[in-house]
Amino acid sequence: MTHLVLVGVSHHTAPVDLRERVDFSRRGLPAALTALSERPDIGEAVVLSTCNRAELYVTCADPLQGARALGAFICAYHELPPALVQPHVYEMVDEAAARHLFRVAAGLDSLVVGEPQILGQVKDAYSEAAERHFTGGSLNRLFHTAFTVGKRVRSETGLGEGAVSVSYAAVSLARKIFGSLKELTVLVIGAGEMGELTAKHLQAQQVRRIFVASRTAAHAELLANQVGGIVIAWQDFPNVLRSSDIVITATGSQDPILSRAHVEAAARARRHPLFLIDIAVPRDVEASAGDLEQVFLYNVDDLQTIVNENLARRAAEVSRAEGIVADEVRHFVAWWRSREVIPTMVALRKRFESIRRSELERLEPKIANLTPDARARVDEITRLIVEKLLLTPTEQLKSVADQETAAAYSDALSRLFSLAPPESVDEERSRVAVPAGKPPKRPVEP
Amino acid sequence: MSFLPLLLYLAAAAAYAVHFTTRTRTSGRAATTTLVGAAMAHTFVIGMRTVQVGSVPFTGSTGAISAFVWLLALAYLYTEMTTDERAMGVFIAPLLAVMQLIPSLDTRVVQRPAVLHSPLFGVHVSSLLFAYASFALACVIGITYVLLFKEIKAKHLGVFYARLPSLEVLDAMNLRAVTIGWVFLTLGVIVGAVWASQEEIRTAVDPRLRAMSLFDPKIFIALICWLVYSFELAARRALGWRGRRAAWLSGIGFAIVLLNLVPVSYFLTRSHNF
Repeated sequence: MTHLVLVGVSHHTAPVDLRERVDFSRRGLPAALTALSERPDIGEAVVLSTCNRAELYVTCADPLQGARALGAFICAYHELPPALVQPHVYEMVDEAAARHLFRVAAGLDSLVVGEPQILGQVKDAYSEAAERHFTGGSLNRLFHTAFTVGKRVRSETGLGEGAVSVSYAAVSLARKIFGSLKELTVLVIGAGEMGELTAKHLQAQQVRRIFVASRTAAHAELLANQVGGIVIAWQDFPNVLRSSDIVITATGSQDPILSRAHVEAAARARRHPLFLIDIAVPRDVEASAGDLEQVFLYNVDDLQTIVNENLARRAAEVSRAEGIVADEVRHFVAWWRSREVIPTMVALRKRFESIRRSELERLEPKIANLTPDARARVDEITRLIVEKLLLTPTEQLKSVADQETAAAYSDALSRLFSLAPPESVDEERSRVAVPAGKPPKRPVEP
Repeated sequence: MSFLPLLLYLAAAAAYAVHFTTRTRTSGRAATTTLVGAAMAHTFVIGMRTVQVGSVPFTGSTGAISAFVWLLALAYLYTEMTTDERAMGVFIAPLLAVMQLIPSLDTRVVQRPAVLHSPLFGVHVSSLLFAYASFALACVIGITYVLLFKEIKAKHLGVFYARLPSLEVLDAMNLRAVTIGWVFLTLGVIVGAVWASQEEIRTAVDPRLRAMSLFDPKIFIALICWLVYSFELAARRALGWRGRRAAWLSGIGFAIVLLNLVPVSYFLTRSHNF
């Protein structure tokens, strides 16, 4: 019987320097997949490698041996001593492996819980393997279910919602005020690190232009290069303020550099909202400027409060996301189990069909003189009887929840009907198990 | 039969409330489907009435309210489908259900008086009802603008922050709805005035037609309405009154519209009670 085996290291088990050394994407995933599938005991394979994890998902006949082989493979492939890697490696089989992948795809296993990139990374890892036919019916189903989990968690829970960094919180606020940021002008005053980070996020949103002003011209130059901005003279910033939509202040000044009067004059000269992001400590913008209509002023504490609220909200959503994972694991395991009894079912069906045929052949002399129509009806009736007889046992067998009972039932059926041993129907099984339209697994090259 | 649209509007209100809380895609689709069903049932009821009476049944206060609900449902569904925003439904659907109560309870069949058989009258009523539906949308958009504005200003991002489009998008939607409403309101009032100044109307003996004057409550309030919306549009251009101020004005405007559509129509007007 095929088993699902996962072996890997992640940020939960291994320090960053080890994770860097077992990074499979460095030499390219195809190389790793090819090397992996050259091992005789490995069936299907997917390699998931991100900066926080390196995981191998495979199918194999013997889970213990398979896990051991995978652990050895990780060390051999990266030319690392087993003693260095082994303590950080985790192994999971069947249901546990499926649950782990679903939690990964949902973002539940991520460093920042709910981060959205991981689902895309799982998809990429799968398509790398699927395109080259390293996957078959089992891993196809496993990964497609994982994508469903990721999508459901994203749409049905708030796990991925709300910015969890100060600079991103500022960007998401800007989007909530302005909608699209494409036509906007940004003014960055001061050249602090936070200001730079926020400006970079805004640049990624394709704002129209970014002006940079700093008391030290060299700092302004440097920041402008980083974010594709335009340097303006320090004394010009009050004028540029009028044409700016988003203003980031991050100077080291002890006194506010933007007074309420400054902001009021700028706001009056424009029709659109003005979003002031004051990242400086002590503050750069006079607090009362935020009372002006159409002026939105957030300082670093306000943004930090939002981030904390978002983190708390995400934590509250974890249990809902875990519920979705459990739900999909249950479905997947049911399918996985039902798949195990398929060889027996197929053999039983074959057996019944062969009895039916031989009986029809035996009766041939007696029914030879029937009209073709009547003969067709005889054929139809016998077929329906066989179908009906098989219906209940099929359903019963597929609904068996635990592996042992399923094996016992299969065994009993094989004995009672003296069915062929499972090996001979193995090919039949893989044909049945692979969903239509999926390419069959490429035979492993010697 | 006449209760079916009401029940479905109520169901839609519940479905939009569920969608607003859970925000799942399924509940959103369910809400939209229910509202589409309600609008279709309503179309059917109006169609049956049309066959029964022989003319589109928007004559009389009750018919007008029913037509208003129907138009608002369609206008909202159009907005939802073009913007992919469902959060407004939680405000619109209850309004539809409450307004639909009146036509559901008052099912008298009103024959259209011969004097109203002019095409001008049809244009007058339909453009005003369309204007009112636009104003209802503008009001709801305005309400959501104010709610979101308050959350962002108070630096406490909550329910509406996660569910509504951006302030600028809401403001643009408000402007569009008010502009469309204003155009149809202007058209409706002008066509009404032209119709009322026709020779046979002015010389008619019907007391209602004799009461057609600027000082009839219905007409007077409609003109106030026109002034409010004209001011909203003018102030936006001249004084930069956008965002929250525009939102408030569309709220005030629609309150006046509602006043005119329900109590004034039933109890005060001497000219428009057909």
